[in-house]
Amino acid sequence: MKAALFCLTATFLAGSISEQAFAQASFLAGIPRNEVLIAENPEGRITNPTWFNIWVVNHGSNSNGLQQLGMDTLWYIDPDAGIDGVWDNSLASDKPSYNSDFTEMTVKLRDGIYWSDGVEFTADDVVYTVETQMKNPTTTWGPGFLASVDSVTAPDKNTVVFKLKRANSRFHSLFTVRWNACWIMPKHVFEKQADPTKFEFNPPVTLGPYTLKSFDPNGAWYIWQRRDDWQRTTLGRFGEPGPKYVAYIDPGPPDKRVILQLNHELDIIHDTTPEGVFTLAKQSPSSHFWFKGFPYAHPDPTLPAVVFNHDIDAFKNRDVRWALTLLIDMKAVSMASYRGAATISAIAVPPTGLYPKYYFDPLEDWLKNFEIDTGKSKYKPYDPTVAQQIADLLRPTMGDKIPKDPKEIATAFGRGWWKPNPQVATELLERAGFKKTGGKWMKPDGTPFSITMLVEGDQRPVMTRAGTMIVQEWRQFGIDAKTQAYPSDFFPRVASGDFEAAMAWSVETWGGHPDLSFFLDSWHSEFVKPAGQRQPPRNWQRWSNPELDKIIEQVRAIGFDDPKGVDLGQQFIKLAVQEMPIIPLMSYNVFTCMDTTYWTGYPSAETDPYTDPVPNWANTKYMMVKLKPVEKK
Amino acid sequence: MRSYLWYLARRFGQFVLVVFVGINIVFFVTHATPIDPVEQAISSATQFGQSDPRAVEIMRKALRELYGLDGSIWQQYLTFWRRLATGDFGPSLSAFPTSVSTLIGQALPWTAGLLSTSTLVAWCVGNFMGGLAGYYRKNRLLKGLGIVATGLQPIPSYIMSLVVLILFGYLWPILPISGGVEMNIHPGFTFSFLGSVAAHSLLPVLSLALITIGAWFVGMRSLVSNIVAEDYVVYAELAGVDRHKILTSYVMRNALAPQLTGLALSLGGIFNGAIITEVVFGYPGLGTLLVRGVNSGDYSLVLGIASISIIAVATAVFAIDLLYPLLDPRVKVR
Repeated sequence: MKAALFCLTATFLAGSISEQAFAQASFLAGIPRNEVLIAENPEGRITNPTWFNIWVVNHGSNSNGLQQLGMDTLWYIDPDAGIDGVWDNSLASDKPSYNSDFTEMTVKLRDGIYWSDGVEFTADDVVYTVETQMKNPTTTWGPGFLASVDSVTAPDKNTVVFKLKRANSRFHSLFTVRWNACWIMPKHVFEKQADPTKFEFNPPVTLGPYTLKSFDPNGAWYIWQRRDDWQRTTLGRFGEPGPKYVAYIDPGPPDKRVILQLNHELDIIHDTTPEGVFTLAKQSPSSHFWFKGFPYAHPDPTLPAVVFNHDIDAFKNRDVRWALTLLIDMKAVSMASYRGAATISAIAVPPTGLYPKYYFDPLEDWLKNFEIDTGKSKYKPYDPTVAQQIADLLRPTMGDKIPKDPKEIATAFGRGWWKPNPQVATELLERAGFKKTGGKWMKPDGTPFSITMLVEGDQRPVMTRAGTMIVQEWRQFGIDAKTQAYPSDFFPRVASGDFEAAMAWSVETWGGHPDLSFFLDSWHSEFVKPAGQRQPPRNWQRWSNPELDKIIEQVRAIGFDDPKGVDLGQQFIKLAVQEMPIIPLMSYNVFTCMDTTYWTGYPSAETDPYTDPVPNWANTKYMMVKLKPVEKK
Repeated sequence: MRSYLWYLARRFGQFVLVVFVGINIVFFVTHATPIDPVEQAISSATQFGQSDPRAVEIMRKALRELYGLDGSIWQQYLTFWRRLATGDFGPSLSAFPTSVSTLIGQALPWTAGLLSTSTLVAWCVGNFMGGLAGYYRKNRLLKGLGIVATGLQPIPSYIMSLVVLILFGYLWPILPISGGVEMNIHPGFTFSFLGSVAAHSLLPVLSLALITIGAWFVGMRSLVSNIVAEDYVVYAELAGVDRHKILTSYVMRNALAPQLTGLALSLGGIFNGAIITEVVFGYPGLGTLLVRGVNSGDYSLVLGIASISIIAVATAVFAIDLLYPLLDPRVKVR
């Protein structure tokens, strides 16, 4: 017996000693910690990690550094201020040049840009990229080219001419990075392959400032090394990238990401929970956020909203949509979803990037005067102080983390929203033929007014909490509303039309550029599918409106930078307020957390908003030249 | 011998039937899912980037042809069995054109290593301690260990994973908390690689073993408690046989037979993966792969993992069935 117990104790001690021995090992072999920037790959562990052929649908990973550090294309639009303005001519030496009827686009390319294997980048690469993908419609951008391109030629090594099948004033957006864009293929590598769609492209030959150093065959991490000839890449214009190495890793669930940053083993958390950020803000003095105080998060130029299915009879009526809007207390939704760290929006564009200047400020007075006429009463629903009220609610617990300056509050929390008013909502519903019987609302046909709100559940907890709060508010008013969690296959289900309302987004903008065509063009009624057929992105609500069509057609007829675009954008926003096809809620706030233990120079809303810090955006490459190693004292 | 061969043939028939029925159920369940891999692919390709509605239509048609989803479910069923007969599960739909076999081959060694280690550690420790506790019922230390083991047993695996993660990853950060091996290390039979694999497996093994030790402990203690009251044990004690010999040769040996069955089933089950533990620790095993397959509607992948799991468990049961009559003469082969 004693011997047995002795054996047990000895085994335990041996285990403890070996654990401590292992604990001395670093988590990154052979690379000094102060030379590597470690960022989260939000795609997690990659299923087919050896694939770097980014042009094939379902290739390995976008967010493993491949599109951020290895790829390049003609133009970039920054969602924030940009490193040298919002628009960057990357591989192109100038902006796209269209003929008068937008059926031809000419591109001039930069000289002196080289692939990582030493071959010069030329117009032939661009032509090859387009033609190869057109021959293979299972590629990511092939279908886009097939729909638009008649021919593509390279009159000389620095010029590409596209002849288009139809007028398309926004054709260049296929080569313009918002989050990504069509990346240029190395012709000299791919042309040797019998089938370019079955080529792994491992290791990738890059145009960006980094090359692949090593990666986990099980897909958990990728390490990129700065090119010795980084001056011969487009980023060379802005200086030497700071980190010699960049690692994109799968850090695991949100709690673990926070632990890793507390241990200084993860420099950039892509996103975590509001609670995780509050923990870092309290316990990690070296953590840096887009906003130095609340809401900490970076507001991405995407607009989470209540998306109605306009194929459902009840939601075809504007009065019903407005009634449901006037039952929502935005303060409660902000607190429930983001714990107050939301940047709210009353209109159908996100309050981010340069949009406050283009759309929010100019429309503020119009919103204040906007009036709803129920037939029984008139009501001005816009309350310009809602963001201020949210800030005031948070101040007792968050103290000086909450800004006091109204301008700072507007940037961080947004501006106004719609005032809840059950009486006006009642009048609107009654005008639509609805009746309240026994405390429950009935539709004009006498059946109960029920709404099932589709949410993503654990897959997107913040939005799920927002949806749950909205549903509670509708229920309190007597509507039979409930949520349904559908974590997998969410957007394909929304596209199928098998939903009534969804916590989703159908508005995504450039952020830094006022042109709204990125999402708006697809809202034209020509693309609205009948019930039972799949709706293409992004008009998930299947809303069609003749006035909207006119606006879109006018946008199509003008150039990308035409100042009339802002005016047309404002017309769209006013129409969307009047019709309320979706209920806009807030920007998509991403809780990116940056550790300053080893690196400094991260972007910040207050001092240097030069780019979006969220590290799965392709614009992340601009961050590399601003990051500098922290000098050890 | 003849009766044993007849017994073997019957058991083999059961084995084939279980595998066939199990795989059929998985095939039809996975194909009944509303998740469409083509729509998933389109969604991921267009969610952040270009989304010209005309282009989406072209992409949908092209992907449907590429993935071979145009045939009827019966054609897909026959193709599946034809491929399975040659050990091929076809291409993964979420990682096209990488084959499912390749993906499983990459993940399987990690899961097998992790779960076989944790299962064997838990089985050995739990049974050893349980055997001692059943025999030395008055020993306070063993009573205390019993309380701890039974207390740990009902803890859900995700709670245990998070507890050890916070303990050894944050409060006392001495162990790696993510991945299967240190980054940037070359795989091979080197001390640094194997040491790193061992270090990275410690927390997942610990979290899995801690909760299963209790189950083995309780089972073994109760078996031993019954056996010590058997006549042959009492006679051995009265005859003055050494207590250590009674414990090892008379008591624990007899109590081990049902525990061995449990061990075989547990080892067969390692091919299911430890989904929650692998996800929490970012471990590169089958559990993580399965979650990705389910979320992306990749029924080729899900079917591949489930088929391997069914075959593994059925094989373990079959092996035990074959060995039992040889190990324990009380089991009849009729």
